Amino acid sequence: MPEVKLVPEKWVDRYGDYLFNYTITRINDAVLAQDLVSETFLAGLKSAHRFQGNSTERTWLVSILKRKIIDQYRKQNSKKGKAEVRVSYLATSDQEGDWLEERVGDLRNPTIEDEIEQKELGEALNACIGSLPERYATIFVQKSIDNLETETICKEHNITASNLWVILHRARVQLMECLKDKWFNDNI
Amino acid sequence: MAFRFFINCDDAHVLSTRDQYKDLDAKEHFRLNLHKSHCNGCRKFHKTNDLFTKKMNGLKWVRLSDEQKQKIKDRLKEELGR
Repeated sequence: MPEVKLVPEKWVDRYGDYLFNYTITRINDAVLAQDLVSETFLAGLKSAHRFQGNSTERTWLVSILKRKIIDQYRKQNSKKGKAEVRVSYLATSDQEGDWLEERVGDLRNPTIEDEIEQKELGEALNACIGSLPERYATIFVQKSIDNLETETICKEHNITASNLWVILHRARVQLMECLKDKWFNDNI
Repeated sequence: MAFRFFINCDDAHVLSTRDQYKDLDAKEHFRLNLHKSHCNGCRKFHKTNDLFTKKMNGLKWVRLSDEQKQKIKDRLKEELGR
């Protein structure tokens, strides 16, 4: 395995969205998630000299992010954190009404179930992308989610177009295998 | 590649994937469809592939806006400059 070098200048472009998605499925607060992601990058920068090159950049950043998320949970569950949460609910809510009432789903609204399903599928897909080899994952995300041009990706990774398609194909096959239980049960 | 009518399943799989990204030209479309017409496995694979694409496109992806990214980048740069 060639030694991995850190390239902090490209972190945000390469891993920003991935880490953000990873955080938001666990934290469920966009502002907080953004903060955590940027803190992760900063922490990565600070401890860059301790990075030994045994894992890939992304794995390393995710492990930092995991610690940050756990810290966040702790903070929320501590006594002080609980008080903070309650205060923020009262302070930010401009709707009037019962707290409980606001949290009951509208059963006539069919989109709520869809939303839950969407969220679960998204989490599953994210987890599966995380289990792909890093190269496959990056290329898959760039092509399918960021909708980048084939040529752009080829140039960045220094590969030919047919190479790219084979990689994409393998990534998709692995993803489909990984998601089989969750996604395809009811539809085939 | 010279024009061939018949392709093997591996090629058909890759063509099927490329089709998901609308990357096929007319010749390749023809080859893929011809292959699918006599290969049950690839027909099935293409169907699953289609479904996967459909489901994936239905997902809402949360993304950092360019502005947010720029903010984080600036902070990183500041830190790097020290």
